[in-house]
Amino acid sequence: MSPLLELRDLGVTYSTGGDEVEAVRDVNLALEPGETLGIAGESGSGKSTVALSVLRLLPKSAKVSGEILLDGEDVTTMRWGRLRAVRWSSASVVFQGAMHALNPVRRVGEQIAEPIRLHTDLPEAKVRARVTELLDQVDLPPAKARSYPHELSGGQKQRVMIAMAVACEPRLILADEPTTALDVIVQAQVLALLGELVAERGIGLVLITHDLSVLAATCRRIAVMYRGEVVEEGPGDEVMARPRHEHTRALAAAFPTVGDPASRFAPATTNPLPPEPDRAAPDAEAPGLLAARDLKVTFRDRHGEVVHAVAGVDLDVRRDEIVALVGQSGSGKTTLARALLGLQRPTAGSVFYDGRLVPTSSAGLKEYRRQAQLVLQDPTSALNPRHTVYEAVAEGPRIHGITGDERSLVLEALTAAELRPAETYLSRLPHELSGGQRQRVVIAGALALRPSVLVADEPVTSLDASVRGEILALLLRLRRELALAALVITHDLGLAWNIADRVAVMYRGELVEVGPVEQVLLEPRHEYTKSLLAALPTGMARAFERGV
Amino acid sequence: MTTSTTGGPPAADLDERRAGTSTARFVAGKAGGALASLVFVMVLGFLLFRMIPGDPVATMTRDRPTSPEQLAQLRERLGVDEPLWRQFLDYALGLLSGDLGTSYLYNRPVATMIGERLWPTVLLVGTATVLAVALGMWLGIRAAWKRDSAFDRVHTGVALTLWSVPQFWLGLLLLIATQGLFPSRGMRSPDLPEGFLAQTLDVAWHLTLPCVTLLAVIYAQYMLVMRSSLLEEMGSEYLTTARAKGLRDDLVRRRHAVPNALLPAVTLVFLQFGMVVSGTVTVEAVFSWPGLGLLTYDALRGPDLPLLQGVFVVLAGSVIVMNLLAELLYRVLDPRVRAA
Repeated sequence: MSPLLELRDLGVTYSTGGDEVEAVRDVNLALEPGETLGIAGESGSGKSTVALSVLRLLPKSAKVSGEILLDGEDVTTMRWGRLRAVRWSSASVVFQGAMHALNPVRRVGEQIAEPIRLHTDLPEAKVRARVTELLDQVDLPPAKARSYPHELSGGQKQRVMIAMAVACEPRLILADEPTTALDVIVQAQVLALLGELVAERGIGLVLITHDLSVLAATCRRIAVMYRGEVVEEGPGDEVMARPRHEHTRALAAAFPTVGDPASRFAPATTNPLPPEPDRAAPDAEAPGLLAARDLKVTFRDRHGEVVHAVAGVDLDVRRDEIVALVGQSGSGKTTLARALLGLQRPTAGSVFYDGRLVPTSSAGLKEYRRQAQLVLQDPTSALNPRHTVYEAVAEGPRIHGITGDERSLVLEALTAAELRPAETYLSRLPHELSGGQRQRVVIAGALALRPSVLVADEPVTSLDASVRGEILALLLRLRRELALAALVITHDLGLAWNIADRVAVMYRGELVEVGPVEQVLLEPRHEYTKSLLAALPTGMARAFERGV
Repeated sequence: MTTSTTGGPPAADLDERRAGTSTARFVAGKAGGALASLVFVMVLGFLLFRMIPGDPVATMTRDRPTSPEQLAQLRERLGVDEPLWRQFLDYALGLLSGDLGTSYLYNRPVATMIGERLWPTVLLVGTATVLAVALGMWLGIRAAWKRDSAFDRVHTGVALTLWSVPQFWLGLLLLIATQGLFPSRGMRSPDLPEGFLAQTLDVAWHLTLPCVTLLAVIYAQYMLVMRSSLLEEMGSEYLTTARAKGLRDDLVRRRHAVPNALLPAVTLVFLQFGMVVSGTVTVEAVFSWPGLGLLTYDALRGPDLPLLQGVFVVLAGSVIVMNLLAELLYRVLDPRVRAA
């Protein structure tokens, strides 16, 4: 019997303006029914191109060579009519549905019903019954069929996407980054759902992601792609336990196992940090450099109902300390950070900086903001695309009227952000830089003001795995060398384990657990912290095994 | 959104009711904004035409000998010697009761004159706009879907050329090219035939040339906006989803791409509809079409200030009303605006 999906010598070349770019070459992979194959790789490794080529969804500029056998039939030589019939009914795709894979102006029920109407002759009443049944399978109430995508949360959209994918009972599902941009708990739910489908119906699943720990938890076999080639392939646990290729090791190290002493204060970087020096335990009683006391932020939603985004929080960030603020999306982390920086006026309570109350007047806030700087999640949108690196870094000092040699100030900040030699970066524009370099420019812009606290909101979420470790190492080095305090907001517990001294766990606007990293992550006391830890892919593995 | 299906769960009903009140609030807010703009236009209309230099009485009596007594009498009748606040009060109260003043040149109520001329313009502009929108969007969608194809290049080029051609020149060219096949002036034949159908055909026959001229010049903008907004949607991931479902290419376009690309185009259509009314001055002058454009042209030659002021208020008002309609329609087309 032929495998469900077999790729033979698959190669994809994009031709853009006379240039030929080889995106994928010599890929040989096979998948049996009821099996899960994981494909890991960074952006640009060709993993998504492989997924799209299976249903011939690549743009016209792509040339495909080799064979793609779906149930023994070569997709590359199919006629259009046959191809359209195969699409979705034999193989369907789960895109990163949380973002843009659903049509924003059509109701989700309609979007789920569309392939059913297209591939079957079911009467309208049965189609609607089927949509209800599908929503039920992904644990969504039938009323959600009338919703538009923007009315759903990220996890709900991903469930809709999955309901849509199984609508025509395909034998193969290609899931391209199905959990990226979802927080751990929702990620665990989505992965469990996919696992159930594989187990119950003998569907073949190709799971594509940049997060190796997700694959390790869910896939029997893993293929690692790097620059268009499969550099390593084998059983999941073997690839994870004994990675042979250097790139696999880098990917595996990027997402550390919480509790692994090797990765404590040691984010994955090509330039390893010296071991954490012994430090005097910070005085737990001393007030922080940045401190919140009974801070409350209350909003009204558009129905006029009161939402307690931050419901009475006490938090200290001390000098020479990195605090990780963790929690699910919607837990109020970002609102808390905005309130700490004076970007959001608190409803009640107060913020202290260096023992003094942070003023609410705009003049007073200006002086405070020089001390407390913000680093945002997406460096691409945080930088003005028309400003050179020099302009971007010099802007802060200009606003704050800092005297002295501007050029040397900028060079110093760039060097501190490890953009070396700094001179070569001055005249470059954001689009000429890689994602990691852009985030360094954002950090340099913050450092140029010589702040004493950085507040970083998901600083590595939008970055590739290999860059992630480098940025985390930079934050850790800044703390060690400049005694720079940092509050890092993240939904990623591995990050906390990598660099933080203390963790604050936020749940529904309140801090449910605050303490040293080892204590909170290894001996969690609050139920919510426990459920966060259980949702980690490493914790997931056991649950998934049971499902398969 | 307002009619709820029977037997729906209570939660859904609540949502619907909320949607209902928020719709009412939205409409009220937008209408309030439009009303404020109208008041502003009213004030501006008054001030603008008081600042134009020149003595209206001198203009009116330009061609005939007048005694100083007659001039003074005229001044008093027109009220130009009254203090400004008094004039404004008269103007504002008049406007509220539908009185736009009296034309200096024709000595007739401005409101009546505009009323007579409004419908021919609406007929001309309405027909041309509906055709231009249909043609422009159809071409724009085709051009974007097959970007850089011969179709795209040829039609973008032709549309841009026509867009840059002066209207009067194109009008005259069409007149010469058709060699008397269509009437060159007016809206009705002097010897008007009997019967509704015959009269309608007669108007349509007169309408052809001015309408084609206007259409040729304005369709380009609808085409280019549709083309660029569809191009923007072309890279969207939901289109890949639609293709992956096995939809035919034209269904992907019709069901998924176009409804999203339509949004920016709608705003333009309505905004332009308001503007085109004022943009017909040239076409109406060339073809002596008895509409607002021709009236404006005549009023400018005077200058007939009350008439110009009346036309200004009506045209500016129509832009505001159309803009309001666009915003309301936008809400129907885009569920995301409903939520905001």
